[in-house]
Amino acid sequence: MKFSYNWLAEHIDGLTVPPAEIGKLITMKTAECEGVEAHGAHFDHVVIAKVLTAEPIPGTHLSVASVDTGRYGVKQVVCGAPNCRAGMLTAYVPPGQLGVTTAKLRGVDSEGMLASAKELGISAEDEGIIEFADGEPGAAIAGCTADTIVEIDNKSLTHRPDLWGHHGMAREVAAIAGRPLKPLGVELPAGDPAVEIEIRDAKLCPRFSALRFENVTVQASPLWLQQRLESVGLNPINNIVDVTNYLMAELAQPMHAYDAAKLQGGKIIVRVAEDGEQCPALNGQTYTLDSSHLVIADAGGPVGIAGVIGGGPSAISESTTTILLEAANFHAASIRKTSTKLKLRTDASMRFEKSQDPVNTVRALARAKGLLEQVSPGIRLVGGLADLYYPLPEVAPISFDLTWMRRKLGKPDLTAAEVTGILKSIAFGVTEVDGQFTVTVPSWRATKDVSLKDDLVEEVGRMIGYGNLTPVPPLVPSVVPPLPPERAYLRGLRQLLTAQGYTEVYNYSFVNEVQAAELGLPIEDHVRVVNPIAQGQELLRTSLLPNIKRNINDNAKEYESFRLFEIGKEIHARGRELPEEIPHLAAVSFEKHRDGVANLFELKRLAGTVVPGCTVEPVEARPFEHPFRSAQVILRNEAIGRLFEFHPSLVETGRAAVLDLDLTKVQALRPAAGKYKPLRRFPTSAFDLTVPTAERELAGTVLGFIREHSGPLTLDVRYLYDYTGDKGRSMTFRITLGAADRTLTGDEVTAIRSQLLAAVAAKYQ
Amino acid sequence: MIETQLSELAAATEARIAAVTTADELEAIRVEVLGRKGKLAEVSKDMGKLSPEQRGVVGKLLNAAKQTLENALTARKTGFDEAALAARLEREWVDLTAPAAGAGLGSLHPLTQIQAEIEDLFVSLGFTVLDGPEVETEFNNFDALNIPPDHPARDMQDTFWLSNGHLLRTHTSPVQVRGMKKLGPPLRMIAPGRVFRNEEVDASHEHTFYQLEGMMVDKDVSVAHLIYFMKTLLSAIFKRDVTVRLRPGYFPFVEPGFELDIQCLICGGTGCPVCKQSGWVELLPCGLVHPNVLRLGGIDPEVYSGFAFGLGMTRLVMMRYAIDDIRQLQGGDLRFLTQF
Ligand SMILES: [Zn+2]
Repeated sequence: MKFSYNWLAEHIDGLTVPPAEIGKLITMKTAECEGVEAHGAHFDHVVIAKVLTAEPIPGTHLSVASVDTGRYGVKQVVCGAPNCRAGMLTAYVPPGQLGVTTAKLRGVDSEGMLASAKELGISAEDEGIIEFADGEPGAAIAGCTADTIVEIDNKSLTHRPDLWGHHGMAREVAAIAGRPLKPLGVELPAGDPAVEIEIRDAKLCPRFSALRFENVTVQASPLWLQQRLESVGLNPINNIVDVTNYLMAELAQPMHAYDAAKLQGGKIIVRVAEDGEQCPALNGQTYTLDSSHLVIADAGGPVGIAGVIGGGPSAISESTTTILLEAANFHAASIRKTSTKLKLRTDASMRFEKSQDPVNTVRALARAKGLLEQVSPGIRLVGGLADLYYPLPEVAPISFDLTWMRRKLGKPDLTAAEVTGILKSIAFGVTEVDGQFTVTVPSWRATKDVSLKDDLVEEVGRMIGYGNLTPVPPLVPSVVPPLPPERAYLRGLRQLLTAQGYTEVYNYSFVNEVQAAELGLPIEDHVRVVNPIAQGQELLRTSLLPNIKRNINDNAKEYESFRLFEIGKEIHARGRELPEEIPHLAAVSFEKHRDGVANLFELKRLAGTVVPGCTVEPVEARPFEHPFRSAQVILRNEAIGRLFEFHPSLVETGRAAVLDLDLTKVQALRPAAGKYKPLRRFPTSAFDLTVPTAERELAGTVLGFIREHSGPLTLDVRYLYDYTGDKGRSMTFRITLGAADRTLTGDEVTAIRSQLLAAVAAKYQ
Repeated sequence: MIETQLSELAAATEARIAAVTTADELEAIRVEVLGRKGKLAEVSKDMGKLSPEQRGVVGKLLNAAKQTLENALTARKTGFDEAALAARLEREWVDLTAPAAGAGLGSLHPLTQIQAEIEDLFVSLGFTVLDGPEVETEFNNFDALNIPPDHPARDMQDTFWLSNGHLLRTHTSPVQVRGMKKLGPPLRMIAPGRVFRNEEVDASHEHTFYQLEGMMVDKDVSVAHLIYFMKTLLSAIFKRDVTVRLRPGYFPFVEPGFELDIQCLICGGTGCPVCKQSGWVELLPCGLVHPNVLRLGGIDPEVYSGFAFGLGMTRLVMMRYAIDDIRQLQGGDLRFLTQF
């Protein structure tokens, strides 16, 4: 939202804060200022000039004009405008303004420029240089002045309906500067309502006010009005529409002018639209409405979409001679819904959705009457005000005591007089007895913004200035915070993984359908995003692997080998309930030029490091896994994850093995710390055993068999090595025996060994 | 006679010891002269034929010759041993500039690092660290934070809506709601985590980024406490004394609400391109917890008050490492990630 300094200053008695400082003051006390810019500084230098002669320059569309500029003397200027002719009054821009210089154009000296309204920043009109009906050469352009524009971030005005107009912002600036705000003249003559109004739903439209005028002349607005609208980003259109826009920018009250001759029947009806009802709008579009939209209608149907946009057929045109001027108030949420649904955000809807003040409608109409009399000479009011008003429930006065306010702000020396002064300066009504406050809220702050005593803490705090509070350390009990064990676990895990040479990646929580399909993950198991902006965001990941696969192929372009990991959440749909979010670890070892076996054993080593005591058991591969290199990771008889190689067809330029662990299970199954075991006091005995096996026998199976058949005195069975020779494959194990209370005799060891040999011989031959 | 023989043998042997070129030759001489069946042993065998007087004289000579030769042998042997060791060590030369085998240290993601750092800071101040889900209910994400449906503030946060009727949390603030219910007053908590906004991605915009929510609820928590706390905290994060200022900011879940600015660390407040010449950088939103939010969290706003703030961790990481493209944080490119 753009604010004109001159406009603000018109509402404040004796404002002395210079334009350059006003932005910072507003930022610190009211709302965020995004920038302060000079506007129309050239108006101090631009003058009215009379064209004395204008001769075309042969072979060009240009002409050379001799102009009397009064103040600057007679100047020769080259001009490209088709309307440049002797005798006209136009605007002369001297060198040094608006980037104009003294130059030679087509061999002709040109000093200064004759300018269009657009070049001057008065309006968007750029067909030819501006023409004045009267004026003395050398005089300034009447009504056009140098100004400063302050731009305020719209987001910081979300809760302040009153700050969507200059008058509201002027109230703030006046309070900040300690100057009085000038009252608005809002007198309207009495008279019979000029139009009948019917409101079908008072919740959606608490107030509808209107005036009727006749003998209207539709023409361009005076330059001061055009420049002012232009300076705050509104396009001048014609005097009638400009007045409505001017008041919207001044009072935050959107208005609409109808060509009264084009309204059917004698009545205005505010009602919800019928399903499928059409409304041709001012912008040339026709909108199809339904019962969630509110319309302004006459006997012939909708003549406007309430609070959003006016109708096309009843718009003001050059032939308009009577107008109906509307100033109404609508329910904020309803306007917001309509504007969102129609994808039509207008200056009006933006204001209404902030909950405007219904009291404002009549104020705006009264101001409009005065302005219309200025810009459309001869205009006459017909009858009096038409006004249907269903007042909103009043906000109850707010009570608080001074001690409470002091405690909230942390300012023990705050006085009752300070609080009273501040609240009164921004139009709150204040009664205070012995530090007990009763505060009434002005109508423009009561629509939504202020209803609690906490809301008043902000009013007092910001006007004192938060920089004037002395920072105080809070007094808090010293307690050891209860820390969830998962945090410590995950942090330790990350440290461990980096110590093992793995680098952490973060991937998105999204996958796309192609990625999911590629890994054979059922699309219907995913929670779906219903409004993705970009491709690749349509599903929430049920596995870290699709994005991990992408990491592998991306990094394979740069590296011969790498190790990486991610710790992130899988998101599993549970119908209408919140989904289950399961933290997972996915670790990758990649080698470009080797057969991939080392990757798998590296990750098996990692699994044993990350989850001590886990085992690995081959399982049937999933479609994206190498069919002969896929296993489950088991801890205390429960599967906690997978160890596998990505199917080589999915990894473009090498081999990638993956360890994927469910960290919820890993944490749940971790053994709790127990008592220590006393150290062994008697020596142990060991012997090696070589077992001939089938070519694809599993070491784990043989080891399990030996353990099972080597008796209760077995302390350890260890796989030593594997050999394949002429007689086929064999595996060698070392068996360690011992007893807690004695040294085993040679006979005992021999007996166990023989028994084991017999069992092995029977099973493996 | 024996005396002559002995002195000649000793002299000749000494000359030979001095002349050998290898340890093996030296050993051969030792065996030949000093061995059990060596020449000196032969001489001593002949001593039996001598008179006791002569025997005494020759015995002394014999011992002297033996001692002299042994010393000479030991000296030469030590020389050969030292030379052999030196030669072996020389052969064992290694190029220590060659790379070490095995995997080096991996890297933690910069967001993990900064998060851990900030968590530790808060834990030292008595805060609990809480976690919240990425998928939230509309109620927790908006309504419970005083943002009812059709509130214009919902426009400030473009939301990813989900097929199950829920949404991806747009801020970590819903964990305030969970935290109040879980911990009860008084409480001090933070909740770091991943949040989502439905936006186009470019160098400075992401749909996925990281926030850290903080909340303290107790009796008599004031704006002055909030300012003190944020100043202390930010000085610790930036490892230098920082100047902060509060100005009004609108967030429906706090009242009053503030934008907290930090005096520009680049120019010290005099104005530079980073702070757009203002001397201040907008850092985080904060405020006193809105009474409606406390109430929805099961806390009586007449008894307790609190402050809350949201720290943009992605922003902090980018500031700390001068990262100019936000997409790199979730791009999975090891060339980027191994720098941290
Ligand atoms: Zn700076």
